[in-house]
Formats: sequence, C-alpha cells, structure tokens
Amino acid sequence: MRATLALLAAAALALGAVAPAAAAEIVIGAQCDRTGPTQTVGTNLCPGFNDYIKLVNMKGGVNGNTIRADEVDNEYKVPPAVESYERYKKEGAVTVSVYGTPQIYALTQKLTEDRIPGTSPGFGKAAAADGTKYPYIFPIAATYWSQAAAAVKYAKDQMGGSMKGKKIAYIFYDNPAGREPFPVLEELQKLEGFEMRTFAVPPPGVEMGAQVLDIAQRYRADFVISHLFGRSPSVAIKELKRVGYPLKKVVGFVWGAAEADVEAAGGYGVAEGYSALQFAGVGEDYPVIKEIKEMYKKEGKPEPKEMKESVYYNRGVFLAAIHVEAIRNALKAKPDGKITGADAKAGFEKIKNFTLGGLVPPIEITPTDHEGGGLVQVWQVSGGKWVKRTDWFRAYPEVVGKVIKEAK
Amino acid sequence: MIHRESGLLKTSYQADMALYPLPIARWAVAAIAALAFLVVPLLLSDYYLSILNLVSVAIVGALGLNILVGYTGQVSIGHGAFMSVGAYTAANLATRLDAPFWISLPIGGLMAAAVGAVVGIPSLRIKGLYLAIATLAGQLIIEWTINHVTWISGGVQASIEVPRPRLFGMVISTQRQMYFFLLVFVVLAIVGVMNLMRTRVGRAFIAIRDQDIAAEIIGINIFRYKLLAFAISSFYAGVTGVLYTYYLGIANYEQFQITTSIDYLAMIIIGGLGSVLGSVLGAIFVTMLPIFLRITMETFGGLFFSSGAMLNIIPNLRLIVFGLLIIVFLVVEPEGLNRLWRNIRSYFRVWPFAY
Amino acid sequence: MFDWQFAALLLSNGILIGLMYSLIALGFVLVYKATDAINFAQGEFVMIAGFVVAVAITAYGAPLWLAVLVGLAGMIGFGFGLERVMLRKLIGRPVIAVVMATIGLAAILRGFGPMVWGAGTKSLALPIPEEPIILGPLFIPPIQLLGAAVSLLFLAAFSWFFLRSRRGIAMRAVADNQQVAMAMGIDVERYFGLAWAMTGIVSALGGIVWGNLLGVDVQLSLVGLKVFPVVILGGLDSIPGAIVGGLIVGIVENMAAGYIDPYVGGGTKDFAPYVLMIIALMVRPYGIFGKAIIERI
Repeated sequence: MRATLALLAAAALALGAVAPAAAAEIVIGAQCDRTGPTQTVGTNLCPGFNDYIKLVNMKGGVNGNTIRADEVDNEYKVPPAVESYERYKKEGAVTVSVYGTPQIYALTQKLTEDRIPGTSPGFGKAAAADGTKYPYIFPIAATYWSQAAAAVKYAKDQMGGSMKGKKIAYIFYDNPAGREPFPVLEELQKLEGFEMRTFAVPPPGVEMGAQVLDIAQRYRADFVISHLFGRSPSVAIKELKRVGYPLKKVVGFVWGAAEADVEAAGGYGVAEGYSALQFAGVGEDYPVIKEIKEMYKKEGKPEPKEMKESVYYNRGVFLAAIHVEAIRNALKAKPDGKITGADAKAGFEKIKNFTLGGLVPPIEITPTDHEGGGLVQVWQVSGGKWVKRTDWFRAYPEVVGKVIKEAK
Repeated sequence: MIHRESGLLKTSYQADMALYPLPIARWAVAAIAALAFLVVPLLLSDYYLSILNLVSVAIVGALGLNILVGYTGQVSIGHGAFMSVGAYTAANLATRLDAPFWISLPIGGLMAAAVGAVVGIPSLRIKGLYLAIATLAGQLIIEWTINHVTWISGGVQASIEVPRPRLFGMVISTQRQMYFFLLVFVVLAIVGVMNLMRTRVGRAFIAIRDQDIAAEIIGINIFRYKLLAFAISSFYAGVTGVLYTYYLGIANYEQFQITTSIDYLAMIIIGGLGSVLGSVLGAIFVTMLPIFLRITMETFGGLFFSSGAMLNIIPNLRLIVFGLLIIVFLVVEPEGLNRLWRNIRSYFRVWPFAY
Repeated sequence: MFDWQFAALLLSNGILIGLMYSLIALGFVLVYKATDAINFAQGEFVMIAGFVVAVAITAYGAPLWLAVLVGLAGMIGFGFGLERVMLRKLIGRPVIAVVMATIGLAAILRGFGPMVWGAGTKSLALPIPEEPIILGPLFIPPIQLLGAAVSLLFLAAFSWFFLRSRRGIAMRAVADNQQVAMAMGIDVERYFGLAWAMTGIVSALGGIVWGNLLGVDVQLSLVGLKVFPVVILGGLDSIPGAIVGGLIVGIVENMAAGYIDPYVGGGTKDFAPYVLMIIALMVRPYGIFGKAIIERI
C-alpha cells in the first residue's frame, strides 16, 4: 500500500516535471486506433503518418517550424477520442486528424465551436464535403458517397456499359458508416435502372455465411459491391469464394482494399480477381516513400515493416502530408509562425493540385468543397499482387453533388 | 478521536434519520461540496475539467446500474442500450420540438425507464447469468431498432446533432459551464439514490437481493419491485445518455454498445456493489485509469522502449495493465473500493487506539 | 414457389456453423461444470490458441502437426497455470468476482496477443481444400465439416469422460459439493486445474478451426460472444446442451438472415437467437438441458 502511494506520488511529481511543448513547434493532433476493432488499419496507417512528419522535420520543418504529431490511441471508442481532443486543444494543436466515423460525428460540433479543422479521409460524414455547412470538417478524400458512385461506375464498366435489369448486391457492415451510401445508391439505381438488394452484416462481421449464400445462390447477383471494414472484408472474400462466387465480380470500398485483407483471406491466390477502391496509391514506387526509406537508411535503421502494408501506410503518409500542406499555406499567410486553427482551416482551403508525387490524385479543396474531388482508383488482385486497373476517376459528380445538397 | 460517534445526543426522529447524523460527516460533505463547486472549477484548466465532465456522466450511470445490480441483485448487461434510448429520445425532442433540456432530460429518462421495465420482464422467471444474457438480448434488440428505424435514429447515419443546452438564455458550451451543469445532476443523482435506499422501496430491493424467496413470503411483490428496479435503474441510464448527448452535442448509439455496458459493470464491481460511494469511486477509477496509464507510460516509457515501438506497445500495455489491475483488485479486495474506504474509516474510528 | 435448395443450403450452413459454435461453448461448459466459474474470456482463449499455432507455422516454419502439438501443449499449460496463479485465489469468492476476473483476463489477453505477435491478421492454413464440396444442391465448405466433426468428437469424448471414467466422476463430485468431495479424499484443486486444462484443449482445437475460417488476429476473440446464447439455451452445465444450443443458434441465425432480413433491412441475424433464447428461458429458466438450481431459504 505504501509503496503504491509512494509510486503514485513520484509519478505525479514526474508529470509536473515533464516540460510542455517547446516554442517553435506546431502541433497536429493525431488520433489512431491501435487496440480496437480497426487496429489492423491503425497499426499501419499511423506509422506512415508519423514517418512523414519525421521526414518533414528532418528537412527543416515547415518554414523553420518543427511539426509535432501527438498520437493518442482512441481504441475506436468515443470517450477516449473526446478526451484526446481536449488534450490536443490544451497543447494548442492547429489541426486534428480524427480517426473513426463515430469519433468524427462526436467531435463535429466541438471542432466547429473551437475552430480547429479536423480531417476524416475516406470515412465519416459524407455530407461534410459541403464546406459551407461544415466549415471545419475536411473529408479530403473520397467520401462514402463518392466511393459508392465510383463502385457503381466500375461495376457498370465491367458489365459492358449498361446496368439495366442487372442485379447488384450491396453487402455492408450494419452500422451508420455502412449505411451511409444508401442515398447515392438509390439515386443511381433510378438513374441506371439496375436492381439492388442490400445484405447487412451485423457487427462484428466475422460470420456472414447466410448473406453470402443468399447473394450467390438465391439472389444470384451479377455484381457485388462490398462496404465492409475491420475483419469483415477478408471474411467476405473467403466466404464468397467458398460458395463459388467469382471474385472478379466483387468490388470493395476503400477500407476493404489492403494487403492485410488479402493476406487474412488466405493469400493472393485465394483472393484472385477481387477489386477494390483506393484513394491513395499502392506499393512502394513513389518518390515520397523512397525519401522515407532513405531517411531510415541514413539513420542506420531498417525500413519500418509497416511499409509492406502499403495501402494503409501510404494513406497515413498522404494524411500527414495534407495536414503539413495546410499548415504551410497558413504560414504563408502568417509568416510569424503563430497560426491558429482558423488559419489552418484557411490553409486547407487553399490546397490546389496536391499530388504528393503521384501518390494521390490532384486534390483541390475550396471553401465549398472539402472533399477535394472524390477521386479514386480501382486496383485488383491479379497474379499474386495488387495491380492498378483504372486511373484516377470521379463518378457521377452531379448525383453526389445533389445528395450533398439535400443532406441535412 | 477524529471520528467520534459517541456523546452525540439526538432529540428528534428527524435528527436520528438524517442522512449524515455525525458532525464529522457533515463537515466532510460540506468540504467536498465546497471543493467541487468552488475550488475545482476555478483552479483546473479546460482539459482537466473535460475529464471531470466525463467522470460526472459516468457517475450517474454507475449509480443507476448499482441500483439494479448492487441493491436488487439483478445482473444486467443492457445498461448501454438504455442510455442510447434516453439519448435518442432527448435528441429527437430537442431537434423536432425544440424542447429545452429541462423537458427532454426527464422525458428521455422516463422513456428509458419504460424500455427498461420491458427488458426486465424476464427477471420474474430467470436469474443469475441467464438473466444477464437475457438483458444482453435487450441491448442487441434496442441497438438494432435504433440502427434500422430511421424515425428514431434520424437517418442512416443514426446520429442526431443537438443544440447546446440553454439556461435563462445562457448557452452552456464551455467545459467550465458544462462542469456546473453536470455537477448539479450528479448531486441530484447521488442524493436520489441515497434517499431511495432509505425508503420502503429501497428496503424491498435489498430484501430481493438477499433472499428473494423469503422476501416474497413476507409479502413483498417481487415482480413489481424487480420491474421498478429495472425502471429506476434505466431512468438513471437514460439521464446519463441525455447528459452525454448534451455534453458531446450529438447522439450516436455507437457510444453505448456492449463494451460500455461491461465498462459500467466494471465500475460498480471495482467500486463496490450496493453502495453509493462505491459507484462514485468506481466511476472515477475506471474512467480515469486509461488516461492515467497513458500519462504514466508516456512519462516513463521512454526509458524502456524506442518511440516507434512505444506507440504500439503503450495501447496494448494499457489493456494488459487494466485487466491486471481488475484482477489484482478482486483478489485483494473483492468488495471493491468502498470496502477499502470503510476499512480506512474504521481505522480512524478508534484511532489512536488499535481497536 | 418455395426455394427448397436455398432453404437446404441455409440449413446445412446453419448446422455446420452451429456445431462450430458448440466447439467454443464446450470450453465454457467444461469450466462451469467442474468449477462453477463463468469464463468471460473463452473467446480470448481461442484467440491465443490460434495465435500460437499460426505463429508456429508462419514465423517458425513448423509443420502443421508440430504446430498443433505446440498449441495443445501451450493451452494445457496455460489452463493449469491460470488455475494455479489466479483462480485458486478466488475460490469461495462470490461468483461475480470470478466473472470480473475473467473479464480482466480477457482484457489482458487481448492486449497481450497483438503486442507480442503483431496486429496483422495471420492465416492458419490447413491441408484441406478451399473449394466447397458439392453434394447435390448443397455447398459444404470443408473447414466447416472439419469443425463440426471435431465438435461432435469432443461431445462423445467428454460425455464418456464425465459418465464413465473415474476422473470424470470425481470432477462431477467436485462440482456438486466441494467440501464433501474434499472429505472423500478428492484433490479439489487438482481437478480444478484439470478442468481448465481441458478447456485449454478445446480452445486449442477451436482456435485452429476458427483461425482457419476467419484468420487469426485479435478479432478472433469476438467469437466468444457467440458462446452465450448457445450455453444459455442449452444449459450452462450441460455438454449435450452445448451441442443442441449451438445447432439451434446456428440454424436460427441463418434462417433469420435468409428469410427475415430481406423484409426488415437486415441485421436480424445477430439478435434472432437471443429472442429465441428469451422465449426458451421463460419456459425453462435454466436452459433446455440445464440443471435447475434448488434454492433453499
């Protein structure tokens, strides 16, 4: 008992002794999920984020200011996310990279009230693409609405250019994120004339035999659009294969698109033909990735193993880069280095033609469009690896725009 | 010497039945109240106040669960679902009817109480772990209903944004204002439970927990009181959900899932079943433990691990330490923090003597 | 026209998956039957077992039979060790203490697994074909067949064990009344250890089979949640109950997904077995095969 008390007292003293952030430092709040249901993503994405920040600092920071990314594990739960956000505020963070759809929902009001911009790439509230309604929320990558439109376009192209009368199966994780694409899918259904049936996979999404049987044997879908994440994409791949459904007729959204999903499904041989959407490039053949490798080589350390999971790692790098770009723009406007969240927001909205050496499509963010174009690529498992199938494209912008406008 | 119980003469029934008959208890409570209402909000920064706000909401929830599990002996894993019922009711009232918080909060609680009573119906026949899993069924069904019935959930996103609460024209939005707002409800909740347990209803609950067959024999209508326990406990849960919604500004059922229910169970077991102080202590402990662990590890972890490995190890280590602490706690003191406090108090009761 | 083929498919899938659920439930029932302890960490046991076997194969290149042996040995050791270190201290404490302890244990295992073996999903390859076996209109994935077979095998083995063998009867005596068993000369603590070790064995096989089906990572522990409707339906301390409960849960899940889901927008699969469970409990409050607890004032 006494030893515990003494230890606690020592800890409290040490806490006080730990100095707060240094002066010429710009803080980015980086949330991550390292122990929750999406840890397979977080444990690869967040190292990418941190590595890019390290690279920037090694090159002298942004206009001489070092960037500090404060990473906190939010376990994909809301209370830790809220608590870490308050911590970022205390440290004077100018931007926050939020992790997780329920988390961005919970923090939307706070971010807006406190005037700190938060990003939610490839997840979160699709309606936040409208910068006038959500001035401080930045999807900065294809939202679920854009992804849905792109998936339908890809399916249409694969089916020979016409979807009239064809049967589409939409298999999704039964939670708000999974149901988000419904408005867009319904509009496209009217537009293109296809028949669609939805198949909900209740969390935790590890068992979907009946749904898959239905898709393959009773409904006999012509194409499957899958919006799953966490463990379920790999389970879906395995189950579809088990009932004999051809995987080349399946396209997944961005969070079912990683090497990890293929490996979990049993390897590239099992997943042959499966396609998925990406909002950042796959593989290590990009200048910024090479620079990070160089950085590690100079330090005499091996390159991080997370790089092999390039889908998630690259997304982390892209996320960090776009935050840095926003800060760079903010500093251009305020060279004295004392930028606030509002300045960073303005910095985001000045981002134009951002490609990060080809890792991502040319992103342009404006005060009205916080999504940046919603461009995706389709990659497919072919011959033992992920192969690029299409170039960057954006599908049905009018439909997506209409849904955004009508959103509350 | 400090904690004197003898030499105090009471001259009315009122004085005898007071919540805090001993002067030392009254002084202590007054001091705590002064600390909570005056000192803390002036001294602490926004960040620490935000943690306290989270703790306050947890306290209300833990109190409610303790009514059901600690005082009435009915194990329930559905607490999270009742919170989301309260949250969505209040959110819908606030957005559709522009109801102010002092209307939407009680109605949210009542709605959760009604749902809780329904979920508690199996308790007539089923006991123990069987009942616990039946309440888990209630949790899953409620989650599914909110997820799928868009009339309740406000759309496929199942999130409803609520405006900040207004009191006499003042908007409550900063951490400091939220602190007072939540503190009022915490005090109401605590006083409510303490008084409840001194009434006939409270005694019936305890009788049911201790020996429900005997309770039925002496004339307590156990079905009615069991349902009442579920209802009151769910009322507290509903209020917790509403408070949480107002604190975050959004109602979202994904915050109130099975892990939340289990977290609250952990709170009351670690704090001590069947005690108000236990609920409060348990809520503080479980809410602040991850934060405390993270700070400790960040301060000391640099001595042992490289920064890259640390980022991966800290969160997992946190889970491990959390589980370890629970187990160690249970081995050392299965009746929780409450019992620890009582031991300390008994020590001071006879201090400086040994017994 | 009723689609018989689809119904048959759903039924066969339900039966096989249900038996696989039973495999995990068996671990739970074993512990409860012998020690009255409610093990909330059953899913995490399966996960750890899966990790050990998968890592042995992928990281150390062990052949399958060796990895399986390592897994079995590891889990048996783990069971014995667990009983010695943690559970022995909790004998005699109220049941809620044991529950909370297993919840704590579950958290420890969930943190331990990814910390030591990494958060990435590992696949557990078994020498069985990936393509389904086609039997008339039915698609039978071989892994499910294997899981079901293992489950039924354990049912037979443990039923025999508890009914006929000396140790099994001793274990039942311990479960019935510890003090009398001690008075009769039965080493209660050793049988507790044996019970947890047996759970370890079942978890090991469960980990192998489910690890192949789903891939091994921290999420594998989520199958543990499925245990509860199965054992509650079947009765907490009944081995045939675990099998019957598993079958019912598996079939109801699939039927709900196939026939109710399309009308209500999906997602009923998760809670349909629970609804059935509540109805069954109202009729038989201790599960279909569970032993009714006689309460004395």
